[in-house]
Amino acid sequence: MRLLMLGFNHRTAPLELREALAFDNERAAAALHELRQRYPASECALLSTCNRTEFYLARPIHDPPTIEHLRSFITQQTGADADAIHTASIHREQEEAATHLFRVSAGLDSMVLGEPQVLGQVKRAYELADGCGAVGPVLHRLFQGAITASKSVRRQTGIDQGRTSVSSVAVAFAKNIFDHFGDKTVLAIGAGEMIKASLASLRRENPKRLLLINRTQQRAIDLAKQLELTGTDHGGRAWDDMDSLLIEADIVVSCTGATEPIVTESRFKPLLKKRRGRPLFMLDLAVPRDLDPKIGSLRNVYLYNLDDLQQAVEATTSGRRELVNEAEALLRGHIDRCMGEIRHRDIGRLVKQLRQRLNDIAQEEQGRTAKKLASLNGQSTEQAVEDLIAQHNHRLVNKILHLPLSQLDRSDPDASMGFYAAALRRLFDLKDQPDMPMDEASSDT
Amino acid sequence: MPELSTSIPLILATLACIAAMVLAVRRVRQLDELATTLWPIQAMLGLVTVLCLFAFVYRLTIVHKAWVPVQAHVDGLLLISLLLAPAILYTQSRPRLFGFSLFAMPLLALILAWGVCATLWTYRPFNLDSFTQAWTVFHLAVTYVGLLCCAMGAAGGAMYLFVQGRLKSKAGLGQVNPMASLETLETLILRAATLGFVLLTLSLISGLVMVTQSDHTSSLGKAWWSSPKVWLAAAAWIVYAVLINVRSFSTVRGRRAAWLAIAGLVLVLATYGAVEALDRTQQDDTSNVPHAVEAD
Repeated sequence: MRLLMLGFNHRTAPLELREALAFDNERAAAALHELRQRYPASECALLSTCNRTEFYLARPIHDPPTIEHLRSFITQQTGADADAIHTASIHREQEEAATHLFRVSAGLDSMVLGEPQVLGQVKRAYELADGCGAVGPVLHRLFQGAITASKSVRRQTGIDQGRTSVSSVAVAFAKNIFDHFGDKTVLAIGAGEMIKASLASLRRENPKRLLLINRTQQRAIDLAKQLELTGTDHGGRAWDDMDSLLIEADIVVSCTGATEPIVTESRFKPLLKKRRGRPLFMLDLAVPRDLDPKIGSLRNVYLYNLDDLQQAVEATTSGRRELVNEAEALLRGHIDRCMGEIRHRDIGRLVKQLRQRLNDIAQEEQGRTAKKLASLNGQSTEQAVEDLIAQHNHRLVNKILHLPLSQLDRSDPDASMGFYAAALRRLFDLKDQPDMPMDEASSDT
Repeated sequence: MPELSTSIPLILATLACIAAMVLAVRRVRQLDELATTLWPIQAMLGLVTVLCLFAFVYRLTIVHKAWVPVQAHVDGLLLISLLLAPAILYTQSRPRLFGFSLFAMPLLALILAWGVCATLWTYRPFNLDSFTQAWTVFHLAVTYVGLLCCAMGAAGGAMYLFVQGRLKSKAGLGQVNPMASLETLETLILRAATLGFVLLTLSLISGLVMVTQSDHTSSLGKAWWSSPKVWLAAAAWIVYAVLINVRSFSTVRGRRAAWLAIAGLVLVLATYGAVEALDRTQQDDTSNVPHAVEAD
């Protein structure tokens, strides 16, 4: 099987393209089903997060899909511009594809180095693909290996400790605008992991009010309870209160799964006057974005998105290069073991297939020879039987060697002569004998 | 006659201030070397403070030999520098005001250079006659300290515009040591404007007392209310009156408040320019008037 990865991430694709390429669970499941229908011999999984959309495939070596097939599949699925997809995509094969997944899982490829959320996202992508029946032995081994390795590397290097988290960067951003948070109102839109992490960081700054809204209000209330946000100034509010809360808020953090902006410019602009010119810090952690980018150009509004966070985070991660090197060295061992097992499994299947093929040939020839033996009708002489056996052996050897030797046919320009010749010598332990000298040949005669 | 004993410390202080400015720019640009580059700036600003203090005390004790601290324009400029230099030194050690010194130091350098000019080329003592002496000294003192506040507010305003521009353009995100927050700068502008407003009010009142109650002919004449100086001073006063209520007037918050702080300083300086121009005209026209009050 051949392992492929085609993907887009925060380094290769701008936010607008990542928005177009984002798959929610429903769409991801549909895409996996479609891929399985088109290429039934292949295994596939799809990892779609705020910062990346990546397809992982294991397919028979000479079968489709190729990278080009995958690109056109993504174009069809998302409706994104084919040229943009071609320019922004990265693809990896075999060991490089495995290395990529292992790095992603360990948070080494994340915007925030060592961030823990991505591991959960990889797990969910694996579970989703497994649930769709799209994962086979190769991807099972690959994803399980990546998840295990990620945990091990995080434990051994502590790369997820003392990191510059998205939430801590969010607080640092807010500190560019506000001096203190004691009289500030924080509004969180959404109730997912990112919101939870951001609120946990913002809470340490002791804001006056910490409010949450979510389409399902109960989820906001539950998250507030989980974060121990009690009292009249804190807690979940109704989704319909959003406009009044946007007037009161000084800091807005949004991360929902909405496919269209929740707060548009036309919705927000009338609220500005009621805010009486108070500055507003808005952080949009969602992909696709929740807050209309045009809002950022309004007076006293400071809107940032994930790409802005990336810029800030990259400035602070250069000092952790040693930790990355250590983590990558540890991952190397895990990747080698995983790929070794995948290759070993492939070889096992190959040997089984070879045995089956040879047995089939042997059976066929055995049947033919048995018929000839029967046709002798008791007139068999020792010589006749020996001849039959010799013919049997000759046919058997010819049939077995027919395909391998045809690869050595010099007339085929695509044949990798040297490779096959070397493989045959190695497989059958044949010595590379020099041509017989002319004088030696003549003396024999 | 040039006051060399005042000019030399002022020239040295100007050079030290320019050196501090260069070092401060380096410090902001090379954020990772914060610890190693802070002390030379502090040393330079300390030197500026010492030189200004020396010149001020020298003038008070040796030149004037009187308790009246502001007897010439250079004394006022020295007073401002003497207050501004330690204030900048203080902001250097405040992480919440990181970068402010970059905007305040050019002002200090300008004031010091102005002081050099005022000693070497345009030195003129104020005429402090017996009747108005107390009022004039009070008027000059509050005007100069008020000017200092206006200058601080304007520096805060300029920095506000700079920081806000960077935030809007998303430049310099993830800086190890970010510049002062917009809220801090707004507070600084507000406080400077409030103090400046109070001092300008006192300056206007004392000036009003001087021109209305003095039986001498003031430089403004009887029609003092039509003088550009009075109108400019009143305009500056109104600007600061608006500025101190900026958190109540939503329409002038943010960038507009910063621009107002700068406009306030420009008006105050224009008032000074009008005074200078008016005085020169008066002196040219009525050179026989013996007691023309040199106002601010």
